[in-house]
Parts: sequence; structure tokens; C-alpha cells
Amino acid sequence: MKVTVERADLLKSLSHVHRVVERRNTIPILANVLIRAEKSRLSFKATDLDLEVVETIAAEIGQPGVTTVPAHMFYEIVRKLPEGTQVIVESSGDRAVLTIRAGRSRFTLQTLPESDFPDLAAGDMPHKFTLPSADLKRLINKTQFAISTEETRYYLNGIYLHTSGSGKNLKLRAVATDGHRLAQVDFDAPAGADGMPGIIVPRKTVVEVQRLIEDTDGEVTVELSPAKIRFTVGEVVLTSKLIDGTFPDYGRVIPVGNDKTLEVEKAEFEKAVDRVSTVSSERGRAVKLSLSNGKLTLSVTNPDSGSATEELEVTYEADPIDIGFNSRYLLDIAAQIEGETAVLRLADPGSPTLIEEKVAKGALYVLMPMRV
Amino acid sequence: MPVRQLEPGIINRIAAGEVVERPASVVKELVENALDAGATRVDILTDGGGRRLIRITDDGAGMTRDDLALSVERHATSKLPDDDLMAISTLGFRGEALPSIGSVARLAIVTRHAGEPHAWAIGVDAGVKSDVKPAALSEGTRVEVRDLFYATPARLKFLKADRTESEAIRDVVRRLAMSRPDVAFTLAGEERAPVTWASHGAAALSGVSGRLARLGDILGSDFRENAVEVAGGRDGLHIEGYAGLPTFSRANSLSQYLFVNGRSVRDKLLVGAVRGAYADYLPRDRYPVVALFVTLDARELDVNVHPAKTEVRFRDAGLVRSLIVRSLQEALGRDSSRAATTGGSATISALRPNSASMPSRRNWDWRVSPARGGLSSVAMGATALAGLAEAAQAAFDVGAPSADARLNSIEATPDLIDKPLGAARAQVHETYIVSQTRDGIVVVDQHAAHERLVYERMKAALEKTGVARQILLIPEIVELDEADVGRLTERADELARYGLVLEAFGPGAVAVRETPSMLGEMDAGAFVRDLAEHMAEWSEALPLERRLMHVAATMACHGSVRAGRRLKPEEMNALLREMEVTPNSGQCNHGRPTYVELKLSDIERLFGRK
Ligand SMILES: Nc1ncnc2c1ncn2[C@@H]1O[C@H](COP(=O)(O)OP(=O)(O)OP(=O)(O)O)[C@@H](O)[C@H]1O
Ligand SMILES: [Mg+2]
Repeated sequence: MKVTVERADLLKSLSHVHRVVERRNTIPILANVLIRAEKSRLSFKATDLDLEVVETIAAEIGQPGVTTVPAHMFYEIVRKLPEGTQVIVESSGDRAVLTIRAGRSRFTLQTLPESDFPDLAAGDMPHKFTLPSADLKRLINKTQFAISTEETRYYLNGIYLHTSGSGKNLKLRAVATDGHRLAQVDFDAPAGADGMPGIIVPRKTVVEVQRLIEDTDGEVTVELSPAKIRFTVGEVVLTSKLIDGTFPDYGRVIPVGNDKTLEVEKAEFEKAVDRVSTVSSERGRAVKLSLSNGKLTLSVTNPDSGSATEELEVTYEADPIDIGFNSRYLLDIAAQIEGETAVLRLADPGSPTLIEEKVAKGALYVLMPMRV
Repeated sequence: MPVRQLEPGIINRIAAGEVVERPASVVKELVENALDAGATRVDILTDGGGRRLIRITDDGAGMTRDDLALSVERHATSKLPDDDLMAISTLGFRGEALPSIGSVARLAIVTRHAGEPHAWAIGVDAGVKSDVKPAALSEGTRVEVRDLFYATPARLKFLKADRTESEAIRDVVRRLAMSRPDVAFTLAGEERAPVTWASHGAAALSGVSGRLARLGDILGSDFRENAVEVAGGRDGLHIEGYAGLPTFSRANSLSQYLFVNGRSVRDKLLVGAVRGAYADYLPRDRYPVVALFVTLDARELDVNVHPAKTEVRFRDAGLVRSLIVRSLQEALGRDSSRAATTGGSATISALRPNSASMPSRRNWDWRVSPARGGLSSVAMGATALAGLAEAAQAAFDVGAPSADARLNSIEATPDLIDKPLGAARAQVHETYIVSQTRDGIVVVDQHAAHERLVYERMKAALEKTGVARQILLIPEIVELDEADVGRLTERADELARYGLVLEAFGPGAVAVRETPSMLGEMDAGAFVRDLAEHMAEWSEALPLERRLMHVAATMACHGSVRAGRRLKPEEMNALLREMEVTPNSGQCNHGRPTYVELKLSDIERLFGRK
């Protein structure tokens, strides 16, 4: 194999694929990236057995070939090469090394045979749709914080992606919950989503997809089967296994009859919560919301250090109520609210609270109170 | 096959299966008989792990000719004069031990009663009784058991190695001796160096000091120095004894000696109570050394649970349990800033340059020897490392001080020296505080000590304010045994105080509605199951409290001053003063001591001045 390629191109795709590779690996081949050179295309593939990323770039192929080298080291080398250089990557058939040359630098890396490299046999993906990357970003950003980290409830360790409604009202919806709060976002389903099964996309995959679409504004193609999902973003193809489990019937926990409505300036609310929770102990983090006509009082009492209160002018006309929340949860949700005003619909101090944007854009949040 | 009444010989052998399980149980039965007969000294001799020979000699009341003849008959006892099983004040009462032993071995008894002109003897050989014959013995009773289990070869096969059996005998005798400091014991035989525990006088039974003296005889003087007195009582129930400091703990529960009305017992309830009392001080895998004596009205107790008589039932188990926990905690709390002195004496023996402690010379670090010179040490270091190191980085020796002597600048007021932890004198290696007391020095591990202080502070805060609870969006349904569901829901109020709210969900499950917010997102299912299991075994909700405390402890660990931080003199003294007033500051959250004390006398010994 002999390839000549721009450092910048090489760096970009390696930075995408090397992240998939776990730092500590018990199976040596999983620490490697697969390099394939053929027909003026150079492709890289990395996997952790659950997730696989393939990226293809243009390159000048002197001689086609396939090999694997340690992913992190290859990435580090390319990263440290001077900008604007041409990189020559070369391997000879009989020696198990890959040579990397750029300017006056020369590296050789040990290779492992490509035949050992695992393949995430994707199989048939009967459902396919395309959506703007901005939509996918929204889907992920607004729900990701609520994904459970408790591994015994593995079916909550991802985002539940499914369709709801039917006909013209068919929506593509993402839901995540950790049992304390829930986030739900949806928008009109793209063509081709109809009939897709409900799937749970694992957290790591979500994070990788999020990174991939960070600075693109093109389209993303999604293909899926009940067991796997594939995202294609430009030249990058990410294939992942799905979580094999049943997402709970989340609809039951979204309250419908909450009649105490609080409208609050979002930015102001966020800052106030952050300010008063300064005195809370590391874990306790409870903030009390006391509501009475047109006034919201936030307070935190920490027997160890002191207390804090802050008053906000709000729109609130229902009966007075005192309710406690984990301040971190409140801040997480507030960060996702778009527009200037957040709407909190409350029932009582022991029941779920619904949080929405004033101009509803398809996102809603449910938060369980804390007893303090 | 027709049903038929068994012959007495067979009946005895069946009973023997339960009463005499192994040689140690024979020893126990015979020594108990001696104690019941009012002996003031008991001599025990065994051979072949007790299999070949067990001989118990006492100076008790002895038996008359007629009593002797009856004593080897089944269900013959002198200890239930009113047939009242509810008020047993002797160790024996079943009238089973002698006939059982006689049915499986060669038993020979010689006894002298004051009312008889001379002693009498009887023998039982595998259940066959000989006639009562005159014999010579000036007082008391001597019982000899030879060839134990020769009549039941099956049982013989189950015995362990002689050494193991003789170890079990020793344990039995130790326990009996602990319960009766007023009686002198000797334990001899070819298989061991003879031990003698002298009587601590007839008053020893009522006085605590006699008990402690005997415990010291048996458990070693280390125990005496590292134990605190336990005393408590309520409603005719008394607890007394000694509790080992948490820093004096063991890796197994074998060093827990529990007595009820003078009877050594292995009782789940008592063991659980002890564990509960120490839960705050010891990690799960360490066990305290304790000797506890529970006394109560015989009517409040049922000892007739098992023929071996090592199990008991309390009429009011809850009271016993709570009193033990309370008394132990009170005792530990009282002396809570005390750490084990063994640290200090171990240090001494490690340092003392005499031949007796030669092996510990390996711990001796040449770098701390006063002979170390600036330049030569560099040279030595380099040659010593040359073979091992990949590349040694050369460095200038700028003589960095390993001790902070800025303390000299403040005048140690005499009253500081009189405090238990003394006046801070220096910080060494930015990790240890050295302070001077009236009669020695104290070395404090600053990180461990501070961690404990932070932990205790947080625990107090938690108790004051209760635990904040996060309500769950979807209640977690946990499937359990019906009994477990009952146990959990019965104590639902208590659990709620710790932040766990649950309720029965049908007969075989509970619904968890709220969890302690401190624990964040948790695996409620596994947690509740663990909790139920623990409550079944120990009838307490310890895991919950412990989990919370564990979080508190981790936070304490993060919030405490690290090793390697230089402390100002004022900070050091403040730390010492806070340790003195904080309960349990003698050990860190992991059960290790937070400080060691070296007495002046220890230091003098170190230099051979004494
Ligand atoms: N060493 C002894 N000195 C005086 N009397 C004894 C001695 N050993 C046994 N006896 C008498 O023999 C009786 C029978 O003893 P044995 O041990 O068989 O029964 P026990 O002690 O009454 O009950 P248990 O079966 O519970 O031990 C006792 O009740 C006691 O009167
Ligand atoms: Mg007896």
C-alpha cells in the first residue's frame, strides 16, 4: 500500500474515528484503526464492537492495500505533523509495519493483520429517512441530559426514538428519562419514518453522532432495523447496535391536569436558581419554590453553611404552593428551554411538574419534586 | 417392620449424637458439671485431641453413693428440684450428659461427698455400667473419658485432626474460664503447654475488675489495654463486659465472647447487635473483639433450645438487642477519641534495636539513619539505582526540610501539654503532626484525622435535618418474598426517615416511590432486596444508613485536608483540639487509627534507658 494524502484531510477523519476506540482495550485489534486504500479513496474504520465508524476521503493511491495500526497513536502522530504537509503512508507486504512520512519526519507503526478486524455485520436495514442535521441536533441536545446512567436499568441508558401519531400528524419523537426527570421532543416525521420500530439508541452512539453533526448543516441519512441503526453524514458512516429492551410506557407519567401555571423569565430564573444553590451542600441541592400571587421565592437552606433566598416577579395566579426540586435538574432543563419564557405547570409538592416553552415547539420536560 | 420401643442403650447413643458432637463438647459438659457442683478449681487434661483421654478433676461437692449410681442413668439430674424448666440457674438441667458420654466411650467417675466415709467409683463402658465400688479420693470428683466414640465408629470418622480438636477444646475452656473468674482453671495434656488461670477471688464474679483481669489472662494484655468497659441495665436486664476499640479489630468473628447468665452462647441476635453497634466504626470485613455478659431473670430466658445448650431465646429480644447496641455505643463513644495503643508498642518493637526484634530490621530504612550524609547519599542512590532504573534524573540536593520547625516560634503553653493530644510541635513530611503530651508524644495522620472530623460533622447534620428525598417519576416495582415485603412495610416509617419511601404492591412486591436524593440515581431494586435480606437476618435497616454514611464519608474524604499540605501551627493545634471533642475521632472512616501515642516510658525503653 502506498498513499499520499493531505494532512488536514487525514487529521479530520482520524479525529472522527479514533474516538470510538476505547483507551483501555483487552483485545489488541480493537485498539487499531483499519486503513483501506483503493480507487483513489482512502477509508478508515474503527469499532468497539457495539459501534463502528467508517470515513472515506480522497487520496492519491500509489498502490492499493489494507492494514490496521494503533488508532490513538496514528491520530497523535498526524495531529503533531506540521500544518499543510503532504503525508505519505506506506506499507510493504512482508513486514508488519506502516511507515508514515511527512516533511522530515518518519514514523513506523506496528500493524496487525486486517483479517482479524471485527465487522459489525449490519444486515438488512429496511427503514430509511433523511433529515436536516439541525433537527437531529435538536432531538439529541434536548433529551440527552435525561439519559439514565444507572446500568442496571439498561433500557433507560439511551434515547428512545419512535414515531407517534399518524397520517399528517405523524411525528418523529425522542424521549429520555432517568426516573427523576423526563425529556421529550418531536417534530413532523420525515418521509420514510412511517412504520419504523421504536428503538433505543445507546448513550455512546448518541454522543458520537452529536459530535459528527456538530459542525455540519447538511442532511443526515438514517437507516435502521430493530437491532441496528446507521447514520450517514457526508463521508462518515456510523453504525451502531441498539439497546435490546423495552422502553417504559412514558406517556403515563406526563401529567395532563396540572392547573397551577407559572410563567417565568427563563434567563432570570436560571441565574436565580444557580445563585441560591451556591449555599447548598454538594449532594442535597434542594431548592424550594414558594409561589403566591405574582411572586416566586427561591430558597435554599443548608444547616452546614447557611441559607439563601431570592424573589422573582412571575406570572402566577393559582393558589400558593411550596415545592422542592433538585437544583441541578432545574438548571439542566432550563438550559434546554428556547425562547424567553418558561412555563411550569404544577399540581402539588408530591406530583410531577410539567415544564414547557411558552411558544411550544414540540419539546416538553417532566420533573419530579424533591421532599425537603 | 413392627414398631417397637428402643432399648435404653440405643436411646442414649442417639442422644449422645446431639449432646456430644466432638471431644470439646465432652469437655464442656464435664466442666459445667464441675462448676454446677460448686468447684473453686477445675483441672482439665486431654490427650489425642480429647479422643484418647479427657480427665476433669474438681473440688466441688461430690456425690453420695446413691447419687453416683443414678447420675449415669438417663434423665437423672439433681438440678431441677421443682421440675421448673422456666427458672434454670445451673448450667446443666437435662440429666443427659453423663449417660450420653457413657454410651459412646469408657467413662470412669470417682467422687467423694462430705457425708460419705470414703469415695465411691463407677464405670460405664459403651453403655454397660459397672457396680459402685469404694475408692480413694479426698474431695470433689474426677471424671475420666477414654476412647471417645469407640462405640460409634461412624462418628469417629467425622472428627478432625487432633490439633483441630484440641484447639476446639481450648476454645471451650477459654470461654468457660471467662465466665468464671472466681474459679481457677488449668488446661494440660501432652498436646499443649499447660495453662493455668488463677482464681481472682470469690468476689471476682461481681466485680468488673475481676472479669477484666481474667479476660486479660486469656486474651492477652493487649486486650486489657485496648478495651473499654461496657455497662448498662434496664428492667432487670444487665449488660457488662468489655468492648475492644475499633482499631483493635480482627478479620473474623471468632474473638467475640458472648455470655448469657454465665453460659457461653453463639447467638445470632447478640452477634447482630454487636455488629450493629460497631457498624459506624468498622468496615464490613473487620470484627470487633468483645466479651459481653448478659444477665437477666432466668424466667425471661429459654435455654432449652438445643441439647448443646449454646443457643438461647429471649422473651424480649428487642430489649436485649437495643440495650446491647446502646451500651456498646455508649462505651465506644465515651472513649471514642482513643486509638489502639498497639500501634505505639508495635512501633517500639519495630524500632528497638535488640535481637528479639531482629526480623523487623527489614523495615529499617537506611535513609533515615543518622549516618546519612548529603553527598554520599547521592552517590549511593545512584549506584543502587543504576541496575534498575531506566534513566535516573540527577538532581541538586538543596536540603529540602522534611520537618516543619516553624512551631518553635510559638510558645507551647503548659495547659496545651496537659490536653490528651498535647501541643503540636511539628509537622513532618507534610503529612504527620507530632505533638507533645505530659508523658509522651503523639503522631497524628492529618488526612485521616480530618476526614473523620468532617464525616462526624456531616453525620450530625444529617441527623438534625433528615434526609432529602427525590420522588420517582415511575415507582420502581421490586418483587420480593412475602415475608420480606412484610418486614419492609412494617418499618416503612423508619425507612422514610432515611429517605426511602415504599409501600406494599400486592403480596409479593413493593413499590419504591422515593429514594434518598443523596444517592442520586440508584438501582432501587437491588438495593431494596439487599435491605430486605439484611433486615431478615439482623432485623435492622443498617445498609440504608450505611449507604448514606458511605456517601457522607466519600464527601468527607474529598473535603478534608490532604496529606502533603503544610499546616500552620494554629491549624495543627485546632485539629488536635477538635479531635479531642469529636466522638470516634480515634479512627478514620476505614477503621485505621488516626493517631498513635508513644509514652515517654516507651521512648525510654527504646533507648535502653529502662
Ligand atoms: N462433677 C460433679 N460433681 C458433683 N455432681 C456431679 C458432677 N457431675 C455430675 N454430677 C451429678 O450428676 C448429675 C447428672 O449429670 P449430667 O451432666 O448427666 O446431667 P445434668 O448436669 O443434670 O444435666 P445436663 O445433661 O444438662 O448436663 C447431675 O445432675 C449432678 O447431680
Ligand atoms: Mg451436666
